[in-house]
Amino acid sequence: MNRLKLSLSQKIGFSLLLVLVLYSAGATFLQAGDSASQNLSHILSAPDGQFWLGTDHYGRNMWLRLAEALQLSLMMAVLCVLTASITGVTLGVLAATRGHTLDRLLDFVVTLILALPGLVLVLIFAAIAPGSFLVLYIAIALIQWIEYFRVTRAIVQRLAVSPAVQSSKLMGFDNWYLFKRHYWPVIAPQLFPLAAFGAANAVLMMASLGFVSVGIQPPTAELGQMIVELFPYYSEAPWLLAQPLIVLAMFVLACHLCGKGAEQ
Amino acid sequence: MNLITTHELAVYAGETQLLQPMSLTLSAGERLTILGQTGSGKSLLAQAIMGNLPSSLRCTGQVELFGETVEERFRPALWGNKLSLLPQEPWNALSPLMKVGNQLVETYRWVAGQKKAQAQANAEQVLTDYGLASSDHKRVDELSGGMAQRVAIACAMAGGAPVLLADEPTKGLDVSRRDQVVQLLLKQSDQGALVTITHDVAVARQIGGRVMVMKQGVLVEDGQAEEVLNTPQHPYTQSLIEADPVRWPKGSETHFAEQGDALIQVNQLAIGRGNTILVSDLNFTVHTGEVIGVVGDSGCGKSTLGDTLLNLTPAMAGRVERFSSADQYRWQKLYQDPTAAVSHAVSLRTLLMDMVSLHKVDTDRIEPLMARLGLDDDLLNRTASQISGGELQRFCMLRVLLLDPVFLFADEPTSRLDPITTREVSQLLVDAAKEQGCAVMLVSHDPALIEKRCDRVIQLTT
Amino acid sequence: MRALLLKRGLQLIAVAWGVGTLTFLLMRALPGDMAYRIAAGRYGMDATDTTSADIVRAELGLDQSAIAAYGQWFIDLLSLNLGRSLVSGSLVIDELWHMLGHSVSLAIAGSILSLFIAVPIGLASAWKGGWLDRLVLSVSTAMRALPVFVIGLLMIILFALEWQLLPVAGYDTAFHLILPALTLGLSMAAVSARVVHVEAKRVFGSTFYEFARTKGLTHVQAFRRHGVRNIAVPVVAFFGIQLITMIEGVVMIESLFSWPGIGHGLVHAIFSRDIPVIQGAALMMGILFVVMNTLVDIACYYLDPRGGQLQ
Repeated sequence: MNRLKLSLSQKIGFSLLLVLVLYSAGATFLQAGDSASQNLSHILSAPDGQFWLGTDHYGRNMWLRLAEALQLSLMMAVLCVLTASITGVTLGVLAATRGHTLDRLLDFVVTLILALPGLVLVLIFAAIAPGSFLVLYIAIALIQWIEYFRVTRAIVQRLAVSPAVQSSKLMGFDNWYLFKRHYWPVIAPQLFPLAAFGAANAVLMMASLGFVSVGIQPPTAELGQMIVELFPYYSEAPWLLAQPLIVLAMFVLACHLCGKGAEQ
Repeated sequence: MNLITTHELAVYAGETQLLQPMSLTLSAGERLTILGQTGSGKSLLAQAIMGNLPSSLRCTGQVELFGETVEERFRPALWGNKLSLLPQEPWNALSPLMKVGNQLVETYRWVAGQKKAQAQANAEQVLTDYGLASSDHKRVDELSGGMAQRVAIACAMAGGAPVLLADEPTKGLDVSRRDQVVQLLLKQSDQGALVTITHDVAVARQIGGRVMVMKQGVLVEDGQAEEVLNTPQHPYTQSLIEADPVRWPKGSETHFAEQGDALIQVNQLAIGRGNTILVSDLNFTVHTGEVIGVVGDSGCGKSTLGDTLLNLTPAMAGRVERFSSADQYRWQKLYQDPTAAVSHAVSLRTLLMDMVSLHKVDTDRIEPLMARLGLDDDLLNRTASQISGGELQRFCMLRVLLLDPVFLFADEPTSRLDPITTREVSQLLVDAAKEQGCAVMLVSHDPALIEKRCDRVIQLTT
Repeated sequence: MRALLLKRGLQLIAVAWGVGTLTFLLMRALPGDMAYRIAAGRYGMDATDTTSADIVRAELGLDQSAIAAYGQWFIDLLSLNLGRSLVSGSLVIDELWHMLGHSVSLAIAGSILSLFIAVPIGLASAWKGGWLDRLVLSVSTAMRALPVFVIGLLMIILFALEWQLLPVAGYDTAFHLILPALTLGLSMAAVSARVVHVEAKRVFGSTFYEFARTKGLTHVQAFRRHGVRNIAVPVVAFFGIQLITMIEGVVMIESLFSWPGIGHGLVHAIFSRDIPVIQGAALMMGILFVVMNTLVDIACYYLDPRGGQLQ
């Protein structure tokens, strides 16, 4: 297992990710201030020594607002990936090994959730509790666990009837051993690309909702919502619109590069 | 006129020479067999002559076809009507979504240039001749390996090419089907020239003509079939021929050890998968220390018999009685494909130690048994992916034998191994099991192997 | 095949139940006196009094117990009585019909465009390899990193604002369809071009394709007779997977371009908390999704009668 051997695209992906994480975590140490205070005498300014990324239409500090929005996105990504992967893998192994009833039940639940495109489901959840980070997180995780579940279940189902597992059973090994030596080593490398694409999707989903103004509500900074807010000022201050666009695209690209490198 | 002449034809991957420069000639009506183990570069030779090497490889030297030098890029124009290739694994060679009848018709129509009605009539005729009349409307996934190979032969010949290159035409076929395919090829070679590439000495013997023996891209021996196969000069050729089970000496003395007590008794047993009964009315007794061969056509339930005896699959009817109270883990199985039978995630040592600590196996027994099986201690530091199939199968035997099995079902344990390794591994298996007084059921599709290794045989027929 | 259709039928029921339940919860969870808000929406702030609120309350069953109301909600749903919009007061079903046409034309135009982009590019890059392959891979990786609304924004900025070639928003002429459809087509093609590429490479490198050539068929014959269908099977199956991307894209694109389809309607309804329209639009999206999935299943079945080979 050459886990630490990274492909070129993974190296680029991880570097981009590292830059984004460092920026979101360290922005306030580099430039003091707060992201919410308005300064109407200093709106739509270009980047300068005082405001490194300029100010928006309320005169708010873009360097800090962008960092805050990115923090929110990263948090959403991490939470969704963790919840969805743990749930999905656990249920996937159980469905494939614990008999027909549980498998059928979970299959029914999956069919139910997959009957609606993910974004539509998230939109309805967003309508129930407008602007709630928690509800958004629940909705996205609810959709994303399925991918991990299906991959895990397919792998374990295939392996459970393989000669290797049959042989281990014949030798008297228990279920935990089967998981440790047979299932997990095959599942684990598949999880990484799923997690990378899942993180990108979670962030995109939140930004999409922000973009159509039904996601996280102002004044909290959120990437999609910033894009739609700054679009009207596109001709006066194109650099402002570019900032959330670039951060969003950078994050998604970084995830895709990490994930795709691992797939090959 | 020579149909094929090669001058110093060699194949390279980058700077590595995969096939040593080869010069050969083939004239009309001649049969040439290229014999060698898997990985000996013999398929590359066929591809280099055809001009369809993978783009990552390059070849040097010259190929003359029908008396003139033809460069690689012009050779596709000869495909089908001058020169044809029968690829390995007919199952993958036929188009998966098109009915096989149409695949033959299209060859007559577009390659031989016949009118639609005539092409159809010809295809129908040939399929009938080949005993495939009812398979016309089937797809390849609905055919057996032997049937698919016959369709592929028909397709390869339909364009009217006088020269046929057959790459491992009998790989994966049972003996009876193998002979059918060889007969078809021989019939074909009456009208032109035939180049056969095979690892199977028996096939080379049946085809006759000239034989070239290759080892790792190097030609080691060349001559008429009877000569080369009966009085081989090169050690490699000798070992290849000796490895053919027909030539094995009848096993060692331990073979006929005293038969022990009854271990398993089977009464009116019917076995099957799901709801399908494969074989019924089985009655036999297995005694300790006995080696029983199990033979039968593929898909007849040989593996299912093992799973039923080991309580992995329920019996459809009848009874399996065990006269030993040995723990469940002492009823063991060896698998056809050793690489699929162990975890690849950790080193072999870890796998071995997992088992040793689970069943408190005496660690002093490991070293002598490893020596007996010809396994280096060093090998245990690698994972299953890093060693050869023969080594891995011997590792599997090591694990199984350490458990002191009372019964061992060996399901084609040598079918993925080359002939020389097959000979060793099957001998070791039988000897080691005998020494421990373990009953063995050995499955093989090769009747000669069963005859040489087993005390008696159970034939499964549906 | 029957099992598949059964599963799709089950999904249709699941859509109705899921959407119905979620919107029911949504209605119950709304703060304030629901009836007042609805009456205000329908008759205007000034005309709202207790009487009109009571009428609304009775109409929506807000005076019933939760379980009775839930039952009533489903009886209405199953009899396709989707109610009236809280904002415009018109029948939801009429509004939906109107939106449906717009959404379907956008979806179809986008899918066709994506095919016209993805198939030639995917085949060419598989055939040629080398620099073309690397170029296509880079462009497609970059495009995939852009969310569909960002692609749309860039299209607006380039074609409408900078070059002033095409109209931004609205739906009066066929020109209005160009930018939304192109946005959808590009975002779908970014992925499907790679799928075509990978599948074409698999087929071109397969033993059966090689055999079709060595038995004497020309490149063109081999491609037509053994290439097209074998490539089409996984590509069509992938289209089924892409339906999610497509519907999500339609929602975002309609909102961005003010294209009056169901996605636009859904987002607007969520914004103004117009529950009957939310329910209707979500239901319609779900039905569309299941129906299109079924069509893809059927297409796959006819292209590849072996069945069960695809995941």
